[in-house]
Parts: sequence; structure tokens; C-alpha cells
Amino acid sequence: MRFGRAIALTGATVLVAALTACGGGDDEGGGGAGKTLNVLIGANTQYPEEFAAWQKSISEKFKAQTGAEVKFEQFASANDELTKIQTSVVAGSGPDVYAVGTTFTPTAYSTGAFVKLGDEEWKKLGGKEKFVPATLGISGPDEQNQVGIPWVSRPFVMAYNTELLKAAGIDKPATTWDELTAQAKQLTKGDQYGLAIAYKDNFDPWKFVWGMSTQAGNPLVDGKTAKLQDPTVKKAYETYFGWLTTDKVVDPAAIGWTNPQAVAAFAKGKTGYFALTTATAVNSLDSGAVKGKWAFTLLPTVPPGATSRPGNGVEAASILSGDNLLVADYSKNKDLAFEYVKLVTDQEVQLDYYKKFGNLPANAAALETLKSDPKLAPLTEAAQKSVATPFTGAWADIQLALTNVAVQTLPDLAKGPVSAATLDTRIAEAQKKAQSSLDRAK
Amino acid sequence: MASRKKVSELQRPLWLLTPGGLLMTLIILIPLLLAIWISFIDLDQYTLRRWVEAPFIGIGNYVESFESGLPKSIWLSVSFAVLSTAVTVPIGIAAALVTQNAYRGRALVRAVFLIPYVLPSFVVASVWRTMLQPDGIVNETLGLGSTLWLSGSNSYWTLVLVEIWAAWPFIYLMALAGLQSVDNEVHEASAVDGTTWWPKLTRVILPYLRGPVLLACLLATLNHINNFTLPFVLFGAPAPDDVNVMPMLVYVTSFQGLRFGLSAAMAVLSLVLIAIPLYAYLRAVRLDVDK
Repeated sequence: MRFGRAIALTGATVLVAALTACGGGDDEGGGGAGKTLNVLIGANTQYPEEFAAWQKSISEKFKAQTGAEVKFEQFASANDELTKIQTSVVAGSGPDVYAVGTTFTPTAYSTGAFVKLGDEEWKKLGGKEKFVPATLGISGPDEQNQVGIPWVSRPFVMAYNTELLKAAGIDKPATTWDELTAQAKQLTKGDQYGLAIAYKDNFDPWKFVWGMSTQAGNPLVDGKTAKLQDPTVKKAYETYFGWLTTDKVVDPAAIGWTNPQAVAAFAKGKTGYFALTTATAVNSLDSGAVKGKWAFTLLPTVPPGATSRPGNGVEAASILSGDNLLVADYSKNKDLAFEYVKLVTDQEVQLDYYKKFGNLPANAAALETLKSDPKLAPLTEAAQKSVATPFTGAWADIQLALTNVAVQTLPDLAKGPVSAATLDTRIAEAQKKAQSSLDRAK
Repeated sequence: MASRKKVSELQRPLWLLTPGGLLMTLIILIPLLLAIWISFIDLDQYTLRRWVEAPFIGIGNYVESFESGLPKSIWLSVSFAVLSTAVTVPIGIAAALVTQNAYRGRALVRAVFLIPYVLPSFVVASVWRTMLQPDGIVNETLGLGSTLWLSGSNSYWTLVLVEIWAAWPFIYLMALAGLQSVDNEVHEASAVDGTTWWPKLTRVILPYLRGPVLLACLLATLNHINNFTLPFVLFGAPAPDDVNVMPMLVYVTSFQGLRFGLSAAMAVLSLVLIAIPLYAYLRAVRLDVDK
């Protein structure tokens, strides 16, 4: 028995020693020279080589400015990043700067592990006014409690086939959801479809439902109350499913598509609209049959069933999408961290990043210079008209519950329109999950 | 006599177990104890930062597990695992018998049989996912219209089918190993007795396979229950209700819902629930006792 305890004690000691060793990367003391700043950043699978080159050039710039090194660490998926945040938060050591997705920012905020930005911090970054106002929408629950510094934005837009629209006699892309449905009907004939929708995507469905509801005046969360059983949500689901079942303007195979599959389908040049995409799809579109025959346009901003937005409706052209930078509270290199963030949010670096990777600048002056390009105009407009999803630690659960309604409904859609009763039951279930998650929110 | 035995027991060089024991403690025991501890506290994204101070809520997480779909997930996992094993055993044994006797091209057949086993799970799932699209090659070849394989109740059978496809070579390998251990004398003796192939197979050869195949069944069933990659890549998260197997439920609860305490309780519960039949089974087939 004593032997067993000795082993356990040794094991624990080794574990602690190992953990301490892991945390040993932080340097203490002042001055940049000889220090290393650790930055956690999402891997770029589309342009890995260019991304490595970009990291190298930033490291050199940063070294010239501060004398300190930047060490980039990449994560492959949001889950990898979450695990990294978890372990770093628990251990109190890890990366100094994190790049996190906008919709994940509330979750990161709820851990309380990141520096809240006061006037002094914003000043170090070159002032709040340096950023596109809309991009600050998901930096924190309110102005006094912001943690996220906008880095890049990837607003959602629609792509449309200019030739097909012209051939159908449509001179202007739709600006209301009803108009979109009507045009899609006009465009559907033979082997040609009006809309490409990724019904089996794990993220797309909730974006439609949130957008349509928000435009109709229901942002889904009101303080601590989930409002999923509001008629606006049901209407949104009915419209979204209806394209496939009642309007029949979507390829029946779309019931199995994820977003990249929908991009591929649209790229073949036989679809009028691709309803939810962003700047990073440009290359895929340009390498397909649709090359030279497509353009971006804003997603409709008038809710289904209406010809104008109701008084309390919000002109939400897109969810606020992109990446924020967060400085870790435990960091011993906070000043360096802010210098790094300032560097990568400056106009020149932001424009360079856009040219290499197609992510729009969060820097207002940088975005302004892109406005003159007519091809980009819808994207820059969408970036300015992006609206933040509700800032609550429960959002991850709500998003999951909304998507789950679509996931469980797919087999019904294959048989025809989903009955109101079935939809009500599924929405009620989502409401229950969303509310219970909100009840836990602190 | 008794005292001598005691001395020899004391003199056993138990200290030689230290490296292994240390590793076991580090890799299995400490994380297991941590998981059990976490299952009793209310650990989520709000309490993560001061996890030592996270409120102790006793069996709260366990009670909630039962209300958030764990029983159904356990049923799905167990039925899926048992079904997959039951189907793969005859296939695996038959394949082993087919490659037992030497013939031209046997090496090639053996190599081909191993392909599903050596492919990474991720690749297997991605390829099947592509083939099973509504307008994919499976529906097209079989003329099934746009049958949905990856959503709704069909998804359960898809999971079983793909698992069988990927897992039968394991049984095949174990059965092959068993066949190799059949002595030449046994073959000669049955030839001398003039036994025809069927009685020889069922009365002479198969009893030799009992041990290895039972062990294979046990390992395969546990592998099926623990398989996360296959359902995750095939169906994505959130998964259709019909394939919300235990690993998927724990994953979603932990990494998308961020309820670490709740998911730890689910994991501990599933461990206990698997351990009970496992223990009974091990006793029954006496795999854990020396012959």
C-alpha cells in the first residue's frame, strides 16, 4: 500500500514538473530584445506556403520594431483552438495573442482569461476609430467590456450568375427574400436551378435563420430569454426549407451538400444564385465554368413575407464574421502583445493580408481604399452592414440548437414539405436547449 | 512451507514494475481520477479559469446525463457495436478459410483483404460520405433515386455498413492466426479418418479458432463503441438523432456545449456501463485467467 502511494506521489510530481516545463516559454522582465511573443493563429489550408511567408515577413517587421521575436503556432480547427485555450487558461500560461473567430469571441470572453480593453489599450493600438465601426460589434458585451480587437472580416454575401440572370430578364439582383424566391423560380428550368443552398452544412442553416429573424425584429436572444418560438423563426425555417420542398428552386441533391459542395455546384454555371458565400470562395468560382460570369451582391435584408423591413427590424446583411485578436490576461508580454496587434491592424499590413488571402481589412482606412473596386463593393458594403450575433456565452449552444433543427428535418424534406406540427416540436426543443444554456450564462 | 512461500513472494522483484507502474499512473490513473473529479463539479466555460474553485454539485451531472439523451446514446452505441461484430465474424472467418490453402495469387488476395483495415478511418469515412451523397455513385448504381443515407433513420444502417466494411479484416487476421496454429498432424489425422470437409471444418478446425475469435470479438466490440472518427466524418456535428452515439454525444457536450462536468459524467457512466458486461464476459470466457 505504501508502495502504491509512493508511485502515485512520484507520478504527481512528474506531472507537475512536466506542466511547469511546458509553461517555461514565457520570458520575464522588460524590453523587447531577447523576448518571444507567442501568437496562436488558425492554419490557412488554402494558401499554406503564402501564409508561412506572411508569418516570416511579420516576424521580421516585428523584430525590427521591437527587437522581440514572434513565434506563430497554428491550429487546424476551432476545437484545437478551444483545447489550447482550455489548457492555457487552466495552466495560466500559453500563447500571448489569440486569433479567434467572431462567433467564438463570446465563449472566449466568458472564460474571463483575456485583457479587457480600456482607453489606454485602445490608444496603444492606434485608437478605436482606426477600425470599421461594425467590426467592433462583437468585441465584448458592451463598450466597457471589450476584449476582441477586430483583425479581418469575412462578411457573407450572395454570388449570382450574371448571364443566367440576364437571360431570364432579371436586371437587378434580389434585395428581399421574397424577391429572391420569385427570381429563383424564374431561373429554374430544365437542368438549371435558381438557388444553391448547403442544407447539410454544419453552420449555414443557423445563419439564414438568424438573419431572417433579425431582419424581422427578433435577434433570437433578449437579455436572458431565448426567443426561438417567435413566429419570425418559424417563418425563417419555412422559407429556408420551402426553397427545396414547395418552391422547388434548389437541386434536390442539395439536401446532402455542405458549403464547399454548394460552391462547386454554383461554379458549374447552371445555378442562378449561391446564397451564402464569402470572399474566400473567389478562387473556386474563378476556376469553374462560371468564371467571368459571376458577381457578388448583398444578401436580402427584408424579411420573408414582407416588402419592407418592420420598424424594429435590423438591416443585417451578414453575421459579423471574421477574426478578432485577444490578448491573454496571464501574458507577461502584454505591451509586446499590443504592439503586435497594432502592427497587424495597420493599414499597410491589412491591405497586404487582403491581397494574399482575400480577407477584408478591419482597418477603416484600408477598407476605404478597396471600395473603388466595383467587384468588391458588395463585400465592403456587407462588412459595414454586418450585425453581431447576440453576445452571450450561451451562443455556441443556441447556434447548435438552431442547426440541429435543420439536421433532424432533412429526412422529412426528402418526402415533401415539413408539417407545421413537426417544425413546432423541433423548434420547441431548440428553444428548451437555448433557454437552459442562457439560464446557466454568467 | 507456508513461511517459505511468504519469503519467496516477498523476494519477487516487484520494483521492476516501477517504470510501467509510473506510466500507468501518469497516463491512466491520474487522468481517470481527474475525470471522476470533474464529473462531480460544475465545470464549464464560466468556471474553467478557476477550475479548482468550480462548485461541487455531487451527482448533479449524472442526473442531468440521463435527461440529456445518454440512455439513447448508450443503446445506439451498444446495438451498433454488437451488430457490427456479429456480422464481421462470419465474414472474417470465411475470408481466413479462403486464404488458408495455398493457390496461385493467394498473396494478392491476402493483401487486398487488408486494404480496408490499413486505410485511416478518416479516409474511409470521407470516401463513403462522397459515395453516399443523394446524387452519389451508390444511389446511381443501385437506381435508388435520391435515397438519403446520411440523414434520418437510414444513417444508423450507413454507420453499421461502413463499420463492417472497415472492421472485418481485424477478425480475418485473428482467425488467420488461429488457423496457422492448427497442427499438421490434425490435418493428417482427419485425412486418415476420411473426414469430409464440412465435419472437418465444424468439429476439428473451428474449435481451434474459438479462443482467438472470441478475443477478437471482445476487442472489436470495444473498438466499435469507441469509434468517434467514423460517425463524426460521415455525419458531422450535430449528428442526426439516429447516430448520436456515445462518443458523439460526449464530444458535442464537451467541445461545442462546453459542459465539461456534464460530459465527464457521461464518459464515466459509459465506462461503468461497459465495464459491467465486459467483466462478466471476461469471467465467462476466462480470458483473464491462466489456463
